[in-house]
Formats: sequence, C-alpha cells, structure tokens
Amino acid sequence: MDERPVSLALKLMALTMFVFLLAPLIVVVPISFSGDSYMMFPPSSWSLKWYPAIFTDGKMTSAFWTSLLLAFVVTVLSLLIGLPAAYALVRLKPRGAEAMSALFTAPLLLPTIVLGLAILIVFSRYGLLATFQGLVAAHLVVTLPYAIRVLATALATLPIPIEEAAATLGASPFTVFRRITLPMMKSGLIGTTALCFLVSFDEVVLSLFMTGPRISTLPVAMYHHVEQQADPLVASLSVLLVILTLLVVLVVDRTSGLAKTFVK
Amino acid sequence: MTDRITAAAAGQAGEGFLSLKGLTKRYGGFAAVDNLDLEVPKGELVAFLGPSGCGKTTSLRMIAGLVPATSGRIVVGGQDLTEVPTHRRDMGLVFQSYALFPHMSVARNVAFGLEMRKVGKDEIARRVKEAIALVHLSGKEEHRPGQLSGGQQQRVALARALVVRPSILLLDEPLSNLDAKLRDEMRNEIRDIQKRLGITAIFVTHDQVEALTMCDKVVVMNQGRLEQVGTPVDLYETPRTAFVAGFVGRSNRLKATARDGVAEFAGESFAAQAGLSGPVEIMVRPHRVALSAAGADVTAGDHRVSGIVARTIFAGDILQYDVDVAGQIVSVELATRGGETVLQPGAAVSLSWRRQDVFVYGAAA
Ligand SMILES: Nc1ncnc2c1ncn2[C@@H]1O[C@H](COP(=O)(O)OP(=O)(O)O)[C@@H](O)[C@H]1O
Ligand SMILES: [Mg+2]
Repeated sequence: MDERPVSLALKLMALTMFVFLLAPLIVVVPISFSGDSYMMFPPSSWSLKWYPAIFTDGKMTSAFWTSLLLAFVVTVLSLLIGLPAAYALVRLKPRGAEAMSALFTAPLLLPTIVLGLAILIVFSRYGLLATFQGLVAAHLVVTLPYAIRVLATALATLPIPIEEAAATLGASPFTVFRRITLPMMKSGLIGTTALCFLVSFDEVVLSLFMTGPRISTLPVAMYHHVEQQADPLVASLSVLLVILTLLVVLVVDRTSGLAKTFVK
Repeated sequence: MTDRITAAAAGQAGEGFLSLKGLTKRYGGFAAVDNLDLEVPKGELVAFLGPSGCGKTTSLRMIAGLVPATSGRIVVGGQDLTEVPTHRRDMGLVFQSYALFPHMSVARNVAFGLEMRKVGKDEIARRVKEAIALVHLSGKEEHRPGQLSGGQQQRVALARALVVRPSILLLDEPLSNLDAKLRDEMRNEIRDIQKRLGITAIFVTHDQVEALTMCDKVVVMNQGRLEQVGTPVDLYETPRTAFVAGFVGRSNRLKATARDGVAEFAGESFAAQAGLSGPVEIMVRPHRVALSAAGADVTAGDHRVSGIVARTIFAGDILQYDVDVAGQIVSVELATRGGETVLQPGAAVSLSWRRQDVFVYGAAA
C-alpha cells in the first residue's frame, strides 16, 4: 500500500477516537481485578476472586450456555436461510429482486426497541415469549439481514465465467455450487458466521423483551445482575467476553482477512 | 493421450462433424446471431472472425450451451445437442479471461474435468501430468493460478480444456490478453497442439492475422450474420462481399458508379455483376497494383489509370505510394529489391492491374 503523508490533525483525530472507544476498557479491566465487594474506580484493593466467582454463579453459567447455544443455532440458521436467499436474489434475479433486497435489510434500519416491541406483541399471542425458539426467531430478525447482505455481496463479486468453465468441464449445477461457488465464497461465509454469532451473542434489547425467569441470555443476566448487586463480577465477565470476541476476530482475520470480509 | 485422440479422429473423419443449422440468438428485437449455417469437418481449426460485437462470443456460448439458442440446431457427430445442458455436451471452452479456479492448484484445475468424468485416480494423475507437460508447465503443478503470469494461466486453461479430450475445443479470443511476443508463441503452440491431437476446434478472434495464419477455414461474421466461409486463400483472393474485402487483408476501395453491369472509374471500365446499376465499390489490393512512371514503357495489365503521387512511405521492405487517381487515393505497395528510384510526391505515374485482381461490389446507398 502507498504510504501517504498523514496530517497531524488526522492523527490527533484518530487518537481521540481510539481513546474514546477504549475508555470503557480502561475502567473495566482494573475493576475486574478489584478486591472490593462493589464496583468502585479505582479499586481500593486488588484480588483475582471475581474471575472464579463467575463460574460458581449458577445464573451466569446457565445464561452463558443459553447464549452460546442460541448464537450457534442462530448462526447456522442464518447461513442455511441466507445462502439460498442471497443466491436467488443475485443469480436468479427474480422480478423485484432489488425491492426484496431492500425489504430484507429493513430490520437494520428500525430501532431495535421498536422491533422488540413488535416481536413481543406478536410472540405473546403464540406463547413464544421466554422460550428458546422465541429467542431464535427474534435474533434471526437481526442476523438474517446481515447474512443476506454479506453473502449477496460475496456472490455478486464472483466471476461467472469460472462457474461456466466448471459446467463445460462436466460439473452439474449442484456440483458447480459445491465445488466452485461455495469455496470461492469462503471469506464471505466466514464473515457471515462471525458476524451472526457476535450479533446474537451480544444482543441485549430484543433479548430483554424475550427473556424471563425461565430463560435468560448472558447479556440480559449481566444486566439484571448489575441492577441487583453492583459487585465487580460483571467487570471480570466483560473482560472474558472481550477476549472471546478478540479471538473470533483474530481467527477471521487469519483465515480470510478482516478487511476482505467486511469492507467491500 | 496424443495417440488415442488421433486414432479417434481418424475413426470419425468426414464432413460436418459440427453442424450449425439456422442458429439464431435474439435479445429482444436485436439479433446478436442471425441464422448461422455452418459445417465444420472433424479435425479442422475454424476461425470465427469479425469485428467486436458481431456475435462471435454469443455463437460460441450457444455451441457450449451457456446461452440458449432462440432458434436453430446444434449437431455434433450426428447427435442433436441443442437441448442438452452444458455439463453433458463434452466441449472444452477456453475463456478470454481464462476463468481458472482460483482456489485450486494448477494440477487440481487440470484434474477437475477428469474428476467430473469419474476417471480413476491413477489415470487422472497420469493424464494431468501429460497435459501439463503438453503446455510446457511441468514443475508448476502445485502453483495457484494467482502465482502465474498471463501466458502461463492461458496454458493452464488450455490444458484443463484439452485433458478431457473434448469432442470440440472452443477458444474465445484466447490470445487477446497476451503481449505481442507471447501471442506469436501461443499462436504456433495452439496450432501445433490442435494438429497433433487432431481435435476439432473453433477459434474466435477479431484479428485477421490470427485467423489467416492459424486456421484451416475462416468464418467471417458481421452484425450477427455470416459473410463468407472459406480457406484463408479463398477469403483473400476472392472476397465475396465488400465487408470481407475490407476486413481481410489491406485493400483499396474506390467509389464509382455502375450502369448496366459496368463500373466506370478514371476513364476505365470494370465488369460488375450483370445488370448492376448505381453506386459501387471497386476493390483492388495495394500489392497487386503495378506502378510505372508516366511515359515509361507500358506495364502489363488489363486495367490502366494514371495519377499523381500524393505520398511516399518507405518502410524498408515495402515501398508504399498513395496515388491520387481522379480525386481518390489508390495505395500501391511494392516490395523493395534495392536500387529502385523512389518517386517523390508530385510525380506523374500510371497504375495497372489484372482483371482477376479487381472486385466490384454494389455499395449500400
Ligand atoms: N446478454 C445480452 N443481452 C443483450 N445483448 C447482448 C447480450 N450478450 C451479447 N449481447 C449483444 O450481442 C452482440 C454480440 O455480442 P458478442 O457475441 O459478445 O460479440 P463479439 O464476441 O463478436 O464481440 C453485441 O451487440 C452485444 O451487445
Ligand atoms: Mg467476444
């Protein structure tokens, strides 16, 4: 890449942005090592006790497993639904493909609170509130637009002659898709997987509407925990989650290049 | 590989291995390919030659089954393939953009067609090795297409198409993305391989030199229509239309008027099609025109006109005069032998040529 001279003003602006974005970490990381029994910055004493405490908190561990399973199911479904949808939109180009594309991405433009309210009203009628299926359906509303978008872009940038070449060599349409199209979409698929997983795992607003005493996700459990007792446990948990997210991002970057996956 | 394909070719020799019958492709009201009739004998290399947009690629894609024909039939070896999907047509297509599989090594690219045909593992390994050697890429088996130069990618594309021994090899402007030197090299190589394997091939190009020098037969296309089919010699010596005369080789095209089958130009009469009247074009090739200084001994030739040298171009092997004859420029090309006097602009000259070197075409008014 060309090294272009960066003005001092731009450097300062970038620095300010970084400080602004990382500021929460500057507070949260020290608190996670606090020896106090409530959140205070800076802590008056230090200890590691809040990390093991996470794993003995039944609510947190069950919410973690719920969130993990939920994110997994939502991601798999997003791929299973998003891939054929993107293929139909980009390759089969039905009439009104563009209008449909816009419609599928519309949920991203609505405030999540509005979506949450709408889902609450509809789901309560079918007894889907505070159920795992209900959570899956609600999360799909936000992950599917991402999945369709990223996969459609990945498909649209594939050179069609490559698939045609495979067909002339004797590959049936399904074989072309499996042996040529899918592998060439690798970075789009990894990107979609990571994005859907993180969006679902991190989702708070919709989940707040959809959870209850019977079932809770990790972000919701953390929210309630802070409401009831302001101990540093959530800070330690947050640090673990940041590390987990970083790992996912690193894996994506290593396997397909982050910029290539998300910046088109 | 070579032996087997040659044997197969010998077994099925004869006319019309590939037949196109009234092949047509319309996009809305626009005919990209219009009623194409063609017979390609087994083992021939046939060029589709024409300017950009004349329907060459569309024709090729219809033959390969990548574009459905609006009407007409495609028959190969007696079997009607018009409705057969691409993957069952058994044709090799080399794309202008090469279209290699970027996520596979060279060897895997070449093996792909054999895997689709469920060829045994050992045989795949052997044939892939042979095909890669055939295009001089041994040692590059494990490279990815992205690590190869344009010329090398072209060779992989060729090997990938050839290794399955397709019934017909289709090449869509395979040399257009290569630089001049590589183009000459690949031209000879493709020709050699095609001859050696005895494979029936169609070579799409907009470059008349490629078409004339490589191919057994040339199909000249213009605006979706077939203008003329013939050997390179046929096309050059007896172009049937003004378009072919203009597109294949260099030519002088002189505007004139015909009355009752006789065209008049600069005081000379030229035989046109019987009964033809109206505007015509008189065509004669620059190097078929003899030139002598005015007043010199009469040059042999059936037609004689006189003019004034307007421009002299000395290009070493060729001496070109642009001569003003009755207000139109007639170019004359003379092979230099050394020692000739180079005439300067303004010199009066007389030009002559033989009857069989002149063609008169009715001009679109
Ligand atoms: N999918 C298409 N839709 C509409 N017009 C097309 C399509 N494909 C090709 N054409 C038109 O058909 C004509 C022939 O195209 P093509 O076969 O690619 O020409 P060539 O290969 O001789 O340059 C062109 O005028 C082109 O614009
Ligand atoms: Mg073309």
